[in-house]
Order: sequence, then structure tokens, then C-alpha cells
Amino acid sequence: MQQPGAPIASSPQTQRLAGGAPWLDYLRGLAVTGACTVVAFPLYPKVDSVNIIMLYLLGTTFGALRLGRGPSVLISVANILAFDFFFVPPQFSFDVEDTQYFFTMGVMLIVALVIANLVVNIRRQRELADIREGRTAVLYAMSRELAVARDSQTMAAVAVRHVCAVFHSSALVLIADDRGLLSPAGAPPAGATSGPCPVLLANDYDPDLAQAVVARGERLIGDAIYLPLHGSRRVKGVMVVRPQSAAQAPAADQLNLLDAFAVQLAHSLRRARLADAAESARIAAERASLRNTLLASISHDLRTPLSAIAGAGSLIAQPGYALNNDRRTTLGHLIERKARDMSQLLSNILELMQIESSNGAPRTDWHAIEDLVAHSLRANEARLAQRRVAVELPANLPLVLVDASLIVQILNNLLENASKYTPPGTTITISAAVNEEHVLLAVADDGPGLPPGDPQRLFEKFQRGRAESTVVGVGLGLAICRAAARLHGGDIRAMNAPEGGARFEITLPVETQLDALPPAEPEPLRN
Amino acid sequence: MTDAMHVILVVEDDQAIQNILRMLFEANGFRVVMAGTAARGEHDARLHRPDIVLVDLGLPDRDGINVIKGIRQWSPVPIIVLSARSAEPQRLAAFEHGADDYVMKPFSAPELLARVRAIVRRHVRGSLPMGVLELGDVTVDLGRRVVRSRDGREVRLTPLEHRILETLARHGERIVTSAALIKEVWGPDRDDTRALRVYIGSLRKKLEVDPGRPKYILTELGVGYRLVIDPDPAADATVESV
Repeated sequence: MQQPGAPIASSPQTQRLAGGAPWLDYLRGLAVTGACTVVAFPLYPKVDSVNIIMLYLLGTTFGALRLGRGPSVLISVANILAFDFFFVPPQFSFDVEDTQYFFTMGVMLIVALVIANLVVNIRRQRELADIREGRTAVLYAMSRELAVARDSQTMAAVAVRHVCAVFHSSALVLIADDRGLLSPAGAPPAGATSGPCPVLLANDYDPDLAQAVVARGERLIGDAIYLPLHGSRRVKGVMVVRPQSAAQAPAADQLNLLDAFAVQLAHSLRRARLADAAESARIAAERASLRNTLLASISHDLRTPLSAIAGAGSLIAQPGYALNNDRRTTLGHLIERKARDMSQLLSNILELMQIESSNGAPRTDWHAIEDLVAHSLRANEARLAQRRVAVELPANLPLVLVDASLIVQILNNLLENASKYTPPGTTITISAAVNEEHVLLAVADDGPGLPPGDPQRLFEKFQRGRAESTVVGVGLGLAICRAAARLHGGDIRAMNAPEGGARFEITLPVETQLDALPPAEPEPLRN
Repeated sequence: MTDAMHVILVVEDDQAIQNILRMLFEANGFRVVMAGTAARGEHDARLHRPDIVLVDLGLPDRDGINVIKGIRQWSPVPIIVLSARSAEPQRLAAFEHGADDYVMKPFSAPELLARVRAIVRRHVRGSLPMGVLELGDVTVDLGRRVVRSRDGREVRLTPLEHRILETLARHGERIVTSAALIKEVWGPDRDDTRALRVYIGSLRKKLEVDPGRPKYILTELGVGYRLVIDPDPAADATVESV
């Protein structure tokens, strides 16, 4: 694989020639002729002139192999002349005694030219193949990195880096928005340099030229090279490439390679766009289905208590119905209870929306778990009047860095569930355990246990243990528990305890802050 | 209970809630002054000199917090916030600006009445004497810093535990925010709540009958602590019912 940073010398001139100006090659050609002559001269006339011709043909072949087409032709012609001058009688004259030598020299010239041509062609093809291979390697290196990039910003960075490595040029990728306006694909990370090339800043290009590229869809060269990045229908972006030496006009084959880079990048960007579109479509669909479920559940769970409230209210308000005080009280209690159900439902919905929309960390502070449990038990005292509650907290529980209201909310929801789904007389046990990494808080009961099926599905929104249930609530309670636990970097699990009954376990990460604890005050001596 | 009618100022814009509160308090021996706006509320507070003020936070003209601030500039009259806003920062702001209690809507009428009565009673009685506190089975002599259980055994408190207890007691059953408590006990340079949590825990272990379910040193979640001197059994029956 081509390492970025190891530049590919892609200029054909530099590859074809050993170096130096073209006329030097012609001199070298003459030198070949000279060398052949020098080698052949002492051998003549011991060696037959046919073999001398062979020697010259060898020289032609060698010259064609190493030098260009022009020098090869020169070698062919110079060889004939040298042969004529040095070896064809009369020696040291261009005159030819025997006319058959004209035939010999004519064939020799044709053969030499054919050989030169063939060899040069073969060499040129090999060179082209080399260049193609180099380009393929360069493109492959970039496409491999582009393939693993997920977003357009990363892709742009990959392209910029490879342009620098291959062309020693700074580059900037501009992405067109829906209205075709260009903006740089993400700011380069602070302090980052794209290899040895200076970072091309967002305002380092000619916006008019870039917009012209978008409009016309073809490459333009101004203060830099502007390459269109084609989308499926229109130009979706522009890659700006600025060679480090501005005066140096890019060679045609370099432009071709740049075009190939741009095509690669455009392909990848299209892939990123499609992935984005698919993702947002999925999210939209999920949201729509969630909204429908929510609407259905809410309208059911709000209408039911509302109709009870309206009914009870109208009964009380009718002067004609001789309701005795007991009945009025019953209706009043009914109204209150139903209103509270609705209020609970609303706060659950609000709570969940708040947790799910909050991107940042929860509002945390240090709290004692005992305190949170006590608070929750106090808030649920009335609800738990018919149950027995056992609190089994070890003495060595550390303080936890949590959003107290969320943890209390988790406990409240679990206790509420326990009171809803277990018969009176059930024992509810709140216990905790701690290891180096986690605090495990468990709410268990010895009631009928969880409904059959995967317990974890209970944490999905709008899940209720039993499909047909008269228990009020949209099934948001456990979803809130999970969202809140996860917001703290913890989790919650549901299971049936081996000894029967349902058990919910919350894990919360423990901050290893023991060193930072306040120094313990010496306990006063006991009498 | 005093015989003279207590005056309660209710700053609340919703007509239905106004009616309910009027019925509730008039039926229970209060004279009710009703104000529908923040401006009206501040004006009526000066005019009627109520014994207790009930403030809704969402008022049409200004935020109810302004009413609390305005009244606190000249009067220590107890103020109870009655609001649908349940977020911690809002509750904390209300307490920091001088509210004495916070009742969440939807409220339960008996609970609201109990809280109003408790606060009025305390306020009339004045702040706690720096003398002797009776916390159930435990007697705390704040002046001499001696704590004894009913059987006469001495309960040893550390100096910091004493200072926390004193600070809570000095605020007489009113909520002390965590920040204020830390400042008074440790000085202004600390803002670490961990030490406070630890000491509250150890205080409860020494003073409470069931430290897991404290009755005297109560946590107001996300806000602070309050010392309850004689827990009202009636209030216990109507715990927070949300």
C-alpha cells in the first residue's frame, strides 16, 4: 500500500529519462554509436562485416531501451553512417565500392528502425502501466480510508490528507447545502496540520469560482484548482486544491489524477448522504410510531380518569340528587384520586421527555443512599400502608454522585409498581450492596413475580406487565427508571427472585473518591 | 391555637384555585385576602399585614419569586409557595429568596392546611429558644451542648455535629439550604456537600429512633434540611401525595 507521505513521482518525463535535458539523450545516442564503432574497429577485418552489423543493431536496441524514440532513430542513422565510413570499403570514406552494400545498409536501417520502434513502444507501455499502477495504488489508499469514514467531515479530512501526500498541495472540501451554498466540511481540528501542507482555511478560496464550479459542474482553475464533487443529480461540493508553488501549472496527468480523487470523494460523500437520509428516515418512522402509541395510551389513560371526574362532579353538582354526606365524601375522594392519577401520568411523561431531551449530564451532587431511600419511602407512605417494607442497607454505603430527584424517581416508580402489582400484605425489601465499581440497589418483593416473557422488555415505553389491565398508567414508569439509571452511567434490570417475587436491581457507578472524603472527626469518647 | 382569626394572603391568579383555597381556609377559621397579581399581592401584604402568605409562582404580571423578594424586604411573615413547578432549581430559588415552605400543585387540601397551620403556629411561637430541644426520646441542651437519651445516658456529639444541629435549630423548623448550612458550619470557603451528608447521617444515627426513616432531621430533596421539633402525627398521615 502506498504510504501517505511517500510521494509518487507521477511525471512521465522524470520516469522515462535517466535525467537531464532531451538534447543530452541525443548526445548519449551518438555515444552509443561511437562505443559500437570503438568495439568493432579492432575486430575488423578479423570479424566479418555481417557481425559488425549485428554489433550496431545491438547498440540500436540498447539505445532504444534506455533512450527515447528520437535518439533511437539518431542511433540507427548514425550507425549506418559509421558502418559506411569505417567498415565499408573504401575505408574512411562514405563512398561505397560494392553496390550491394547499399542493399545491406538499407536493410540494416530498416531493421534498426523497426527494433527501435518496437522497443520504445514496449517501454512506453510499461511506463504507462507503472503510472497506472501508481495511480491505482494512490486511489486505493484513499478509497480504503474513505470506506471506513462514516461522515462527510471525516471523508473530507481523508481527502485533504491524501491530496497533500500525493500532490504536496493544500486542499479544502466544500459541501453544498440544500440551496447549493458552499461551506467548508467541518473546521479542521484545532492545531491540526494536514501533513506537511499548510491548512487551507475556510476563507482561503474564491467563493465565486467555487459557486461557478457548482453551477457548471466542471473543473475550473483559478488561484487554485476547483474540482466538482458530483452528486446523483447535481454538484454537491467542491474540492479546492492549491499547489504549494502557485506558479507551477499542474501537468495534465496530475489533473486527471486529481479528477479521479474528486470522483472517489464524491462517491463516498454520496454514500454518507444516503446513510444520513436512511438514518433520519428510520428515526422519523420510529418517532411517528412512538407518537402514535403515546397518543393512544395517553388519550386512554387521560380520558378514563377524566370521565370519572366529570361524572362524579356532575353528581355532586346536581341539587336534585339527595346525596348524603357519605356519598359526597366518596365522590370527592374519587375525584381526588383520579386527578392524582392524571397528575402522576403527566409528570411521568414530562420527566421522560426531560431525561430524553437532556443531552448533558444530570445535575449531580453527593447524596447518601439512606437519605434517598428514606425520602422515597416517606413520599410513598400512604401507598405502601398495606405492605410491609424492610430496609436492609449496609452501614458502609459510600456517598453517590447522583441527581437525587432522578434516583428518588426510580425508587418511587419501583415502589409504586410494587404497590400496584402485589397483593396487600406483601413484603417489599429495599437492599443495597457495594463493590469497587458499583452500588447495587435492589427493590424486591415476595409477591406473584414478573409476568412471563423477557423481563427486560418491561423497560420499553408503554409496556405493561399484563396486556389487559385495569391498573392505570401508560407503562412509562420503568422506562423512566431505565432512562434515569442510564443517564447516571448505570442500568436497571428486572428478574424473578429465586425465592419468588419480582426483583429490580439498579446499578450505579461508584466514584472512587474515598481519598477526597473529609477527614473523619474524632468521635468523642463514650462513657 | 390562638382565638383571633389569622389572616392569610393568597396570591393566585386561577379562579378555580382561588375558590377552593377560599373555601378551605374560611372553613378552617382564617380570614382570606385574595390577590390575583404579583403587584396586587405586594400591595395587599402591606395593607392587610397577613399572618401567612401563600404565593403561586406563575402570576400574570410577574414571577411569584418577585413577591417573595418584595415582602422579604420588610417582613418576616411566613411565605408558602404553592406551585406546579417541581424542578429542583426553582424550588431552591424560592427557598433562597426567603420562602418557608413549598407545596406542589396538585395539592391535597388537608396537607396544605396542616402545613399552613404548622407554620403559623411556629411563627407565632417565635423562633426556637436556644435552650432545650426535645427530639422524641432525646433531649438536646443546645447551650450546654449536652445530649441525653430518655434513660439519662449521654449521647456524645462531635463539635461539627453540634454546630449543624444548632444551625438547624436556630432556623426553627424552616428549611436551611445545603449551601447555607455548609457556610454556617464550615465557613464560606467550603462547598463540598459530602461532609454535610456524612455528618447529617451520623447525627441521625445518634438522634433518630429509626435513622433510615428520620422524623426530626428531614431532607428536603435537592434543597436542604429542616429540623422538625415535634412531628405532627396528623401531618404524617398526609405525606406528600404525588
